[in-house]
Formats: sequence, C-alpha cells, structure tokens
Amino acid sequence: MTLESKTQNGNRFKKRLIIALAGIAAFGISYFIYFNLAFPEVKCAAVKHLESPDTVSDCFECHIKATPKIAQDWYESKHGIMLVKCFVCHGQPDGKGSVPYAIDPDVDATCRKCHDPSIQKMEAKYGLEPKCNGCHPFHNNSLHHKAYVKSIAKKTVE
Amino acid sequence: MKITRREFIKCTAASSAFMAIGVPFSFAAAKDKNVDHWVKGVCRFCGTGCGVMVGVKDKKVVTVKGDPNNHNAGFLCLKGALMTPIIYSKDRVTEPLIRKNGKLVPASWNEAMDLVASKFKDAIKKDGPTAVGYYGSGQALTEETYLASKIFKAGLNSNNVEGNPRLCMASAVGGYVTTFGKDEPCGTYDDIDAATCLFIIGSNTSECHPILFKRIAARKQSDPNVKVIVVDPRKTNTARIADVHVAFKPGTDLALLNSMAYVIIQEELDNYRFHSKYVSFMDNKKNKLTFKDYQKFLEDYTPEKAEKITGVPAATIEKIAKIFAESSATTSLWCMGINQRIRGVWANNLISNLHLLTGHIGKPGATPFSLTGQPNACGGVRDTGGLAHLLPAGRLIKKKSHRNEVEKLWGLPQDSLNPKPGYHTMAMWSALAEGKLKALLVLCTNPAHSLPNLNKYVNGMKRKDTFIALIELFKDAETVKYADVVLPPAYWCEREGVYGCSERRYALVEKAIDPPGQCKPAVDILIDFAKRVGVDPKLVPYKNSADIWDEWRAVGRPTTYNFWGITRERLRKESGIKWPCPTEDHPGTDIRYVRGKDPNIPKDHPNKYHFYGKPDGKAVIWFRPYKAAAEEPDAQYPFVLTTGRVIDHWHTGTMTMKVPELRRSFPKAYVEVNKKDAKKMDIQNGDNVLLETRRDKMVFQARVSDVCRPGLVFVPWFDANLLINKLTYDAIDPGSKQPEFKICAVKVSKA
Repeated sequence: MTLESKTQNGNRFKKRLIIALAGIAAFGISYFIYFNLAFPEVKCAAVKHLESPDTVSDCFECHIKATPKIAQDWYESKHGIMLVKCFVCHGQPDGKGSVPYAIDPDVDATCRKCHDPSIQKMEAKYGLEPKCNGCHPFHNNSLHHKAYVKSIAKKTVE
Repeated sequence: MKITRREFIKCTAASSAFMAIGVPFSFAAAKDKNVDHWVKGVCRFCGTGCGVMVGVKDKKVVTVKGDPNNHNAGFLCLKGALMTPIIYSKDRVTEPLIRKNGKLVPASWNEAMDLVASKFKDAIKKDGPTAVGYYGSGQALTEETYLASKIFKAGLNSNNVEGNPRLCMASAVGGYVTTFGKDEPCGTYDDIDAATCLFIIGSNTSECHPILFKRIAARKQSDPNVKVIVVDPRKTNTARIADVHVAFKPGTDLALLNSMAYVIIQEELDNYRFHSKYVSFMDNKKNKLTFKDYQKFLEDYTPEKAEKITGVPAATIEKIAKIFAESSATTSLWCMGINQRIRGVWANNLISNLHLLTGHIGKPGATPFSLTGQPNACGGVRDTGGLAHLLPAGRLIKKKSHRNEVEKLWGLPQDSLNPKPGYHTMAMWSALAEGKLKALLVLCTNPAHSLPNLNKYVNGMKRKDTFIALIELFKDAETVKYADVVLPPAYWCEREGVYGCSERRYALVEKAIDPPGQCKPAVDILIDFAKRVGVDPKLVPYKNSADIWDEWRAVGRPTTYNFWGITRERLRKESGIKWPCPTEDHPGTDIRYVRGKDPNIPKDHPNKYHFYGKPDGKAVIWFRPYKAAAEEPDAQYPFVLTTGRVIDHWHTGTMTMKVPELRRSFPKAYVEVNKKDAKKMDIQNGDNVLLETRRDKMVFQARVSDVCRPGLVFVPWFDANLLINKLTYDAIDPGSKQPEFKICAVKVSKA
C-alpha cells in the first residue's frame, strides 16, 4: 500500500466520521424537535429528572411517550395491573431514592421484597442464579406481560 | 422437532443454571451479608394488614419483605415495599416539645408530662371529667387504645374517648350491628379465593387495598368465569379487571341497591328457604314485617324508577343483579364510598340485604365484607371499645348490664362507670371549638388535616384556653401547629404490640430496633400520664404491652369476641390468628354464624345458621329508603366533589411523603375532571382550576381523564399544602355520626 493511498484512506475515514457524526447530530436535533413538537407537555422530560426531581410526577406518564414499548409492556403486565410502579424496582434516575437506581434491578434490594418464597423455590430447584430476569425478562414475558391475555392461553398450552 | 412449553422452560432453566456455575454471586450469601436477622411484623399502612418481615442489620432496619406465612403470602404493595426510609426521617420528633410564646421548644419528659398532667387535673377540677378527652387512632396499637380507653373511662370517669375510626369505620359498625347484632365481618379474605362473583362497591380496592386487589385479580385470572362488578362513579384502576363497571350518580347507591333486590325477587333468584328461616324483616321504626311487605316496599325501586334516580340504565341494573344472584358464591367488598355518607349505615344494611336475600352468606366465597382503611381500626378501636359509646368487646356504655360486667372485670365498684356516652368525634371537636372541652390528648393521628370542613375545627384548635397534648411522630404533621405539647413516640417496629386487620386477624408487630432519641412507646407515655394525672395505680398495673394484652384477653373472654386462645406466645410464633379463638389449640375462625365453623355456636345447635347477635337468632333485612346526600349539586354549585386516596400516599401523607419515590410520584394534590366537562369549560391537562364550595375555595392543577363520571370531580386528600378538607362538608350520619366526606357540591372554573 502506498503512502498516498494511506492518506487517502485516512481522509476517507475522516470524511465518513464527519458524515456519521453529522448524521447523529441531525438525528438528535430532529428527534429533539420532533419530541418537543409532538409532545409539547413532555418537553424533554429527561431534563426534568435532574432539574427539579421533586416536581416530576409518575414515571409512566412521560415514558408512555418517551419509551412507549417498555411502558406499554409494563402497563399490560401483572405489575401494571397491580400498580407496582417503575420506581419500586428501578429507583430514582438521580439516584436519590430509597431504592438503588438500576435499569436491571438488584434481586436482594427489590425482587426479594415480594418474591422471596419463589426465589427460594427456584434456588432449591435450579441452584444459584445471579438474576431473576435471566429466565423471566421483566417486562416482556408471559409472567408479567399481558397478564390477562396470556393467562387463558397458559391453560390451553399444557 | 416439537418442544412443549414445559420442556422449553426446563431446558432454559437447566442451561442457565449450568452457566451460573462459577459465578461468585449467591443469594444465600447475599442474604446473610445484607441482613443480620428478620423480625416479624404487620404493615403500618392500610387495613389489609399484610405480614411484613423487617430486615435488621447492625441494629438498623435495612429492608423489608412480605411475610410468606401471613395472608399476603409474601407480597407487598408499593407503599409496603418502600417503607424503610420513614423510620429514619429527619422530621422525626425525638424529644418532648412544649409551646412557649407560640413556639415549640425542647423540654424534658418530666417537664412535659407534668405540664400535661396539671392541665388535665385543672380542667377536671374546674369543669368535671367531661372537660377532658382522648382522641385516638386506628393506627395505634390495640394495647394503646385499650389502655387509653380504660384510663379515661375508668380512671378519669370521662367517656370522651374517640378516634379517627369514627371518620372511616363507624357506618360499617352500625351496619353490621343493626343487621347481624354483632360488629365485624362474618367472612375473611379467603372468601375472595372461592368467590365466583365479586361485587365491589364504593371501594377503589386497587389503590387503597392493593394486596387484596392482587388477590381479586388473581382469582379473576385463574378462572375467566369469575365475574367482577365494580360500582363506582369513578372508573378507577379497580375497574380495569371488571366485567361490568357501573358509574352511577354519586349518592344514589341506596336506590341502586334496593333496585337490585327488586330484580332478584322478580327473577325469583332469592333463596326463600334461607330468608324464611334465618331472616326477619324490619322497617326504619323497627316494626317486624314480612317478606310480602318487603316486596311492596321495593316497588318504588323498579329498575325503570331507579334509572331516573341513579342514571344507570335499567338493563344494567338487571344485569348486575342477575350476576350477583346467579353466581354460586358472591362476595361483596366495600369501603369509604359507602361508609363516609350521611346514610352510611343504611347503605351498609342494603348490601347485607342482598346477601341475606340470596343466601350468599356463611359459605366459602359468599360474604358481605367491609374493608377497613386503617391497620388497627378493627382490632384496636372497634374491638377494644375505643369510642365514646362503647366498652370493650362490643359492650355498650348505655347498657347497665354491660357496664356492670366491665366494672367487675376492671375491679371497679359497681355503677362507678359514667353511664352517659361521651362526645362523638365531630361533637368533640365542636366542643373544643366552643371551649366546653378544655384538655385533649391526641395519639397517632392528624386531625388538623383529616377532619371535614377543617376551617371550622382548626379555629377551635387555635384557642388559647384549650390544651392539646399530641403524641406525634413527625414535626411537619399539620396538627403539630396547634399542639401545646408534642410527645415523641416510638414508631412501628420500635416497640411491640398487636394490630387487628379487616378480617378479624390479630397479628403481632414485634420490636426490631430501639427508638431514636428520647422517643418512648406510647404505652409507656400513657402509663406515665395515668400516674401523674392521679388515676388509681391498681387500674394500670402494667409493666409492658404484653401485660395489657393478657388483661384484654380476659376482658374479651366472656363475650362472643372470645380470643382467649390468642396468647402472646402464639402471636410470636404464628403470623396472625382470626378470632373467635376460645382456646390455645383452636385454629381461629373463618366463617361466623355457622354451626360447626363458629365456636360460639354449640355443635348440636338445631339450626345451621345462628345469628347470635340478635335475640331471635335471625339477621335483619332492613327497609331503607333512598335518601339524597346532605349537599346535592345545584345551579350555583353544579358539580359533586369527592375525595380519596392515591396508591402512592397514605392518609395525610406524613409517612409516605418521607419516601422519595412516593413523594415524587405524587408531589401534589390535583383535581380529576372528566373530559367532557373539561371541554365545556376549556380546561386542559395541567391548567389551574378553581374549586369553590360553600366553605372555602382552592386552586388545583387539572388532570383531564375519563376516570370521573361527568359532573364529578375528585381530589386526593394527602397533600398538606392543599388541604381539600377545608372544602368538604361535615354533615354526619345520624346513626353512626360519621361525616359525609365523599359528597359535597362544588363550583368548578378555570383559574
């Protein structure tokens, strides 16, 4: 490979990087604009998390717009019907809650509060497991998701 | 390759178990690392009374989990799961406070208690024993309420012993006593698991009793043929699992329930064999009447006529009446929507009527079940007689035989108890406002936030010539502003005592940690108070709450409440026992009034059912006509205002506001407006809305939804900065003296 082609490659790489970055920036800006126009009442709710945590309201209200799939899955799950709300397992985004903030909730800090008997049963059956959601993805499996729809199907499968 | 679901799960589990080998993390190790030991208790919040295990590490509470052996089978709702931070709140009162020059300043226990005692003694000396009173709570321990009631009724000869259960449970007591002759439900939570129809009226179970709602939802999920009927002017989260949701015009449920009875008889779905043998029929004047008279009475409530009153289509009334009666076992659940009304007792009677008419009673899954709002309103206040007209275990002050019996049990001379019932709650706070009541001891409740038509009563609390001694956990509770002395109690798991939940289950809250600062168990404070105020020491010979429990067991023993078998030792071992429980080897009672199930009925009794609370052994179907609310909407105040809870907060929010997650979830009260109404008034989500009643006005942020029916607005009452009770109306039920929190007329406009 000649020196020229090397610099050419380098230039090409730079160009691509710039294009990629510009693309990301453009996407980011357009997403931001879209979000602000489409959901004027939400107004970049992420900022709210940090700015005035004591005035934000229920996570679900914004997340049904910001992360609709996850929020809808929760809503239709058993946890959704029982109103075991986001913060019970995930804590607060600024980490100032009483539950440690985690996308992937800690078994001892959260799950065990209600599911200790099941966890012990699973331990006895299958040995040691680091996380519940290895087998039971929290929002989108039949254990939680669409609790009422799936429950009827559950009977016919077996 | 075909693979069944079960095989698939097995494979996945096995493979992930295999992968996990070599991972250093283990549950067992983590458990030991995080928690030294677990202490058994009961949740501090609602009347469901879930069992809680408190995790202690280095003498500090670090976590909680559900008690697998209690009725909640290990589950907790969001409030229960998050209650740890409350214990370590910075707003705890940790030393006695005395008001000097308008400010609360720290004082020693000795100084504070001497002041309290001298004020009480002065008041009694000047104006007699009726010038002092006690205002307690359905959250205080059984031992605390029993002791306070004894100190005031026996020690000071004052029957001014009341408590916040008057604001939440009095109508349910009135309902049960008039229908069955005895207070407390005849069934248990287990009935939910066996019911094929769940009739939920005037209760947002999902947000107010979440773990019971979980049980209802699980029942519904296990069998799609189980029918859930939700009767509520609001389409709450409870209605999400309902087969039928009936949004009637607020305050017209008496007509609706009578109409259901009409349909049941018209469709010949009544159980004639049952009601001809075990039921008597009575009108409001207590005239004994017949089934024929009842049919005639119900002619005013044909579905067509009821439609005009309730706004519910006749076909819907017919439908729910048929579902109710045709099911093999129907359980009714109700709460404040029925109780907090000027005809709360009647509404309670009418629900029981449906059960007596159809025979849906005394069988697994069939019972009229009243839900309680507070963790110890049933066991602590209703059972121990912590109200102005009651003596322990269902005895009445105005009955001489009952008084004499209690005098004997308490070692008092005959006829020494005051035969005149004291002030009921609203009369008590009026008496304080009028200066007739001079000194009041308040325990474990926040009346400056929770009374209806607050302005009227708060003015009374501000009086300089009256004295309020408040035993309160938090500095920021509303009532602290008006207290002359604030005494710091030990919280929930910092002392030991019994809680009794909605299903007659007594369970022990055990001590897990020491209280902070100078906080003392309220039992110790009350014993100290009794000594200083000059109560005969023989009346308070207790060293701790276990001594009080043993005496209370003996006092309940001669009655049908008999829980002699629920000893302290048993409570330590078992996660709650349901009374009646006459002996130590008795497992507790699930179904009352049925031969073979209820230990109060002899095994060889000729009848299967025996309603022993009534002289003839028959329960009563009452003829209760429809009566409108005290303040119906009119041209000037066209909307109905109702109040209630949200799942995140409990009562006045003094506890739940200390949990960051819960506080942030609902930082502020709001007003819920129906979409159609909002459109008419051009109200958008988040707009400021002015609510104005005949008593006060206040601005709330709007939440526009289809939860409220048109013409109704809802405001939760937890917010201390937006005290909705300044707007509510203080009309009371003439029977139960419970105020009508749930309905008042309001003007709604964009602010």
